[in-house]
Amino acid sequence: MTVEQEFEAVDQFPVGMRVLAVDDDQTCLRILETLLHRCQYHVTTTDSAQTALELLRENKNKFDLVISDVDMPDMDGFKLLELVGLEMDLPVIMLSAHSDPKYVMKGVKHGACDYLLKPVRIEELKNIWQHVVRKSKFKKMKSIVTNVESTDNTDQNGVKANRKRKDQFEEVEEDDEERGNENDDPTAQKKPRVLWTRELHNKFLAAVDHLGVEKAQPKKILELMNVDKLTRENVASHLQKFRSALKKITNEANQQANMAAIDSHFMQMSSLKGLGGFHHQQRQIPLGSGQFHGGAAATMRHFPLGRLNSFGGVFPHVSSSLPRNHSDGGYILQGMPIPPLDDLHINNNNNNKAFPSFSSQQTSLMVAPNNQLVLQQPSYASLNPGGFSPHLEINKRLEDWSNTLLSTNIPQSDVHSKPDALEWNHFCNSDAAQAGFSGANNLGPMTDAQLLRSSSPSEGLFVGQQKLENGSMPSDAGSLDDIVNSMMPKEQSQADFFEGDWGLDGIIAHSELAYENLFLCFLCNLVNMRKSVLFRHNQLLLPLVLSFFFLLSCKKKPVSPLCNLCFKHDGILFVLPMNLLAVKEWSNL
Amino acid sequence: MDSLVAQLQMQYRNYVLSLYQQGFLDDQFTELKSLQDDGSPDFVSEVLSLFFDDCVKLVGNMARALDQTGTVDFSQVGASVHQLKGSSSSVGAKRVKGLCINFKELCEAKNYEGCVRCLQQVDIEYKTLKAKLQDMFNLEKQIVQAGGIVPQVDIK
Repeated sequence: MTVEQEFEAVDQFPVGMRVLAVDDDQTCLRILETLLHRCQYHVTTTDSAQTALELLRENKNKFDLVISDVDMPDMDGFKLLELVGLEMDLPVIMLSAHSDPKYVMKGVKHGACDYLLKPVRIEELKNIWQHVVRKSKFKKMKSIVTNVESTDNTDQNGVKANRKRKDQFEEVEEDDEERGNENDDPTAQKKPRVLWTRELHNKFLAAVDHLGVEKAQPKKILELMNVDKLTRENVASHLQKFRSALKKITNEANQQANMAAIDSHFMQMSSLKGLGGFHHQQRQIPLGSGQFHGGAAATMRHFPLGRLNSFGGVFPHVSSSLPRNHSDGGYILQGMPIPPLDDLHINNNNNNKAFPSFSSQQTSLMVAPNNQLVLQQPSYASLNPGGFSPHLEINKRLEDWSNTLLSTNIPQSDVHSKPDALEWNHFCNSDAAQAGFSGANNLGPMTDAQLLRSSSPSEGLFVGQQKLENGSMPSDAGSLDDIVNSMMPKEQSQADFFEGDWGLDGIIAHSELAYENLFLCFLCNLVNMRKSVLFRHNQLLLPLVLSFFFLLSCKKKPVSPLCNLCFKHDGILFVLPMNLLAVKEWSNL
Repeated sequence: MDSLVAQLQMQYRNYVLSLYQQGFLDDQFTELKSLQDDGSPDFVSEVLSLFFDDCVKLVGNMARALDQTGTVDFSQVGASVHQLKGSSSSVGAKRVKGLCINFKELCEAKNYEGCVRCLQQVDIEYKTLKAKLQDMFNLEKQIVQAGGIVPQVDIK
């Protein structure tokens, strides 16, 4: 059903809405019935919760709304509420003579749409139809979100990410129709629609992975997934979407890879910058939102696009030259050689869509599970004034830094000051990184952090992004360096690292959340990364350690493996490029 | 005839007003009255008879619960009280509702004596109300029989 049709139905809708009223008190039931009739609803009454359940189970589409008393002899009203919510997903309104807030709370917690007190007045009943509409809309949105989630995984590119929610809504609607889902009656709460939830999608991914993307067939996927009530058609259409998105990504990836090969130093610069970003969000980014997933997936996807090259080479210098003043994000970059920004501009321009993501030069290090990452990009790229204005200052700095950086070769600096080592370590060692963050947060934009905390999620993301840019890049530089030095004194010798093509070879993904790890895993698979290591740990130190071990355990290859440490902290997904050359460089210090 | 109707109507009006004034009835009763229309002309009397049936049942439950030798299950009493409270508030039986509120507190306090006393009061109260409303309905019937219409009583 189109959106318009749905609205039409809604207009007539309150009239004739089918209500099931349950109350063991016959007086109240009779009154309720009359009141509901007066509101022009269609009423069925029963004095027993059991009967009510039977009626509902008999035909799920028979009722639009349930009104139930709380105190009933045969079954607790809350229990009925739960069951109805679970089995039929109908809106349930509680009715009670208990005005005690704790009952109201209980009702809400058990999923009641509303809680009315006896004696019920007709005015209250006149508006209950809104719950039906709300619920059906919510379900629609939920399915959109999950669809977006799953499509986003595979669909990320600037254009698509740019799409308005509305477009996605419409697309999903079409998809639903494709799938043959019935959506004719908005008041019919039961929609036989397949929601591609995270879990479901993960199963799908696992199955596809097992079979191989090329060879995956809906029937086989379905078998592997082993999910009830999932039809081959559902899987087929989902696979189709998945494949088309995949294609887009790989095309882009190839394109990016070519471009990226050119500017290695530049990459370093940007990656460094990215690192700084991970400076932390005190704010937790809500992860429930499908958007995030989409975003995370998206950004992660572009991740291979960015060549994270000899990042390490730059590092020492950066660290040594890092001024303690972090108020300007790009500050540290001053005095560092950088390749001409033209390239960057060009590249970024190419990819500068609303979802600028990682143009080749983007090391999207600061991958935040959402468009945060997206926002991140502009800061680099934003060497284009087209970027976000707040970053302009940083950009300028960045420019300076870039210019200086690239003009010289990777200088061998003996002065490895560890200005931020402490911060980094502090950061690493702190549990929730709260302390660490605060420790590392010498940054001027403290207010930003506060702003972050108070701002709404979507805003906050943006702000957070900003903050990222302003972030303590220096600290990261110094600290990583530090860690490497402290951790791998011996293995350094192993690293007879190769020059040559920098390619994205592996990913070390870390996240506090399992599903994100899965996402990262998926991404690795998606871009055919050879190595993927996933682990989750709340402490930052451990993953870092492990990642370094991992790095160093990589054997020599003609193409230097580039590993990236991804971890999620405080709701932000960080992707740190690390390559073995970097380790080697560090070892020389 | 007319004067009889008028007289009856006057009587009726006064009677109903007095019921409100004496606290037997409240706004909810007015609401109930408003729900009565040509489609359901006996709505109020139907509901009230249901209510009084409930009263009998619930009071019986409470009496039984309180009458037990040994420990009294106050929660059971409380449940019945709660239900009675719900019904009485729905029909607009103000006094009964008020008593129920007290009764509930007594149950929670597990005040046996208090509960028993309260139960007696409830018993008396609903019966009184029943009688009064019965009179009111009779008046209504008389008016209708006399050819008049039952006036809407405006409660200020």
